[in-house]
Amino acid sequence: MKKNNSIIITVMFSAILILIFLLNIAIEDNKISESERRKLAQFPEISIQSLLDRKAIDGFEDYSVDQFAFRDFFRNVKSFWSTNIFFQKDDNKFFIKDNALYKMEYPLKEENVKINAEKIKNIYDKYLQENDVYYAIIPDKNYYLENDDHLKIDYSKLKNIMQENLNDFTYIDIWDELTLEDYYRTDLHWKQENLVKVVNVFEKEMGITQTLNSYYEKKSLGEYYGTYYTQTSNNVNPDEMYVLTNEIIENCTTYNYEKKENGEVYNSKETLDKYDTFLSGATALIEINNPYRKDDKELIIFRDSFGSSIAPLFIENYKKITLVDLRYMSSELLEEFIEFDNQDVIFLYSTLILNQNILK
Amino acid sequence: MIFSSISFLFYFLPILLIIYYVLPKKCRNVVLLIASLLFYFYGEPKYILLMLFTIFQTYIFGILIDKYKNKSKIFLAISICISIGALVYFKYIDFIIENVNLLLKNKLSFVNIALPIGISFYTFQLLSYLIDVYNGKCKVQKNIFKLALYISLFPQLIAGPIVRYTDVEAQIEKREHSVEKFAIGVRRFVIGLGKKVLIANICGEFNNAFFASSEKSVLFFWMYGISVMLQIYFDFSGYSDMAIGLGKMFGFDFMENFNYPYVAKSVTEFWRRWHISLSSWFKDYVYIPLGGNRVSKIKWIRNILIVWILTGLWHGAEWNFLIWGLYFGIILLLEKLVFGKILEKIPPIFSRIYTLLIVMISFIIFNSENFVQIKENLLGLISYKNIPIISLESIYYIKSYLVVLVIGIIGATPLMKNIVTSKKIEKIVQIIEPIFLISLLFICTSYIVDGSFNPFLYFRF
Repeated sequence: MKKNNSIIITVMFSAILILIFLLNIAIEDNKISESERRKLAQFPEISIQSLLDRKAIDGFEDYSVDQFAFRDFFRNVKSFWSTNIFFQKDDNKFFIKDNALYKMEYPLKEENVKINAEKIKNIYDKYLQENDVYYAIIPDKNYYLENDDHLKIDYSKLKNIMQENLNDFTYIDIWDELTLEDYYRTDLHWKQENLVKVVNVFEKEMGITQTLNSYYEKKSLGEYYGTYYTQTSNNVNPDEMYVLTNEIIENCTTYNYEKKENGEVYNSKETLDKYDTFLSGATALIEINNPYRKDDKELIIFRDSFGSSIAPLFIENYKKITLVDLRYMSSELLEEFIEFDNQDVIFLYSTLILNQNILK
Repeated sequence: MIFSSISFLFYFLPILLIIYYVLPKKCRNVVLLIASLLFYFYGEPKYILLMLFTIFQTYIFGILIDKYKNKSKIFLAISICISIGALVYFKYIDFIIENVNLLLKNKLSFVNIALPIGISFYTFQLLSYLIDVYNGKCKVQKNIFKLALYISLFPQLIAGPIVRYTDVEAQIEKREHSVEKFAIGVRRFVIGLGKKVLIANICGEFNNAFFASSEKSVLFFWMYGISVMLQIYFDFSGYSDMAIGLGKMFGFDFMENFNYPYVAKSVTEFWRRWHISLSSWFKDYVYIPLGGNRVSKIKWIRNILIVWILTGLWHGAEWNFLIWGLYFGIILLLEKLVFGKILEKIPPIFSRIYTLLIVMISFIIFNSENFVQIKENLLGLISYKNIPIISLESIYYIKSYLVVLVIGIIGATPLMKNIVTSKKIEKIVQIIEPIFLISLLFICTSYIVDGSFNPFLYFRF
């Protein structure tokens, strides 16, 4: 190695290491990452105990990565490199197609689907034999991707497993109603403003006719950077988020059993994830009360996060809607909070949840 | 702490470089010793005491072996028992209990003790020191701090190469520091980092996708075989490159550990090119003391099988490692006794294909968790149980990882080395090299910051 070259390499390498070290020390630590919408690791507390049990060391490992100078820039470099130089077809399972972000959900975990179907069946056997019970499956948006060679789960097999286990339920097929345009480009969820047609299918199958011509005002909440946008450094244009509202929805109240507090259907507080606008985000048990409805008609929805945005569109037909998220509460506890009577019941789960073993 | 982490690259290393080069020369060994112990403490806080005890007992027994020549054999035996005893206890005790339990009615309880990081590497280093002192191949080290530096020196502490005391004895006393040497160290370190982060880790992702797959095809099994070869080679040799590079930055010259093993024309040659510091250690401290090949044929076969079973077990306390070692022992015996001469006569392309196939099978065994997995992954190569030749899933993953696999295959040969060392393009290489190295560091950093898959394969060693 020539001397000049050696000097250049030595100086550049040492300078970069020392410069980045100094930048890491000098730049103020962030509490949250706006782009990733999550809390960032902070400098750990150092004590003899925390060193010996590695808490301080593991904490520092997380801290050093989370608070790395120009972290977002480096994440973008990685994404660019893996996609455009290594020609990897996905970046940590995320990929872009037609200015929209997708996450590859693969493979189908048949065992998980069976477990979930059995859990739902057990709830039916225990509490719901006297009720009108319906179920629907929400396809993830990859289902609607055409001319694409990314891997997809076997949707027919998933539907068959559910059908085999839930033959006492009425199945409501919403798959043909939805298209790719009904999902956010930067998120996994569906757009509420496009769901009236889906609600109509439910109402038809459930024998409800009142809201077929419901009027909703479409209100913009501005730009929306969805979960996929934050989980990958593959950037696309943001979505715009809308909510559908009307006088009834605006006057409905919610009660969150977990937080023990009343609220509104659409949360107006600043949140890290704008999708938390719908019923204030993920929670184990929440009810929506409709003051306009004089009868006692009630609906129970066993749901995941997709349910938060569609539930307000059902409220016109019910005095009360109770939303249960079995990811956060055990079905064993249901009796303590819900008196099962003559309510309509919908099990509404996305393929994303049915393919995981997270229902309690 | 692993080399491919932010804490090492942008905290530990720059701080150490500043202190090491700013303080007077006479402080350098002290700085390196403190840094090495801190490096070990950061990785294994609880086991720092074990490391200190290990250093102390090696120091004491080294002096006793040297001082009391008539009883040196006893002292050597005691110190070997202590060192091997610690290795057996921490690394193999649960494996032994698991297998003894198969024969017992009243089962023994597992110890469930965490493996001290790098114990296999530093135990072999201190054994080589004690045996060399006993054999008079090196002088006893009377300064405990210098001996401590040899045993705990952080570049090679957790993943080798296994450095002999005789190789670094003089360097601990006095070593050359120069800009040229530092730059060579940077080149080795950054290329090693690239091998680990950009090839080994990504091949590891491919292998994980293979294990998670429910639609495996024959093509997928073969690609996995290739990918696992690349992952293990680039991970091990990448770590060795980083260790050698770091050594040079601090003035040390460590032995080479890998020499393009996948171009070997026989398994015998492969092992002359693969993990050289380990195979030469076993040769010098086990095979030759057992009599090597200067014994009867039966004993010679015994010697070879002992060495290879131990080599297998050194890599981990599991049956697959033992089988892996035994497999190589048998192949090497076959080469020596049956078809070694044939391999020399056939065209190199065939002998290389033979070697690659044997090695691929070995790493499929190496990377398996149990017998069922070994069987499935080997039989999958030949369409066992009507496994399809090809599937959509395998096509997807092959397309997605093809570029990395091809870069890996090319990088496993001396092709690039021959090109960049060619006299014809010397000047271009000189201009490009600094830019290339800094870009590579930059891209590796981006992968580490992104929190991409970054396993530490040596936790079982």
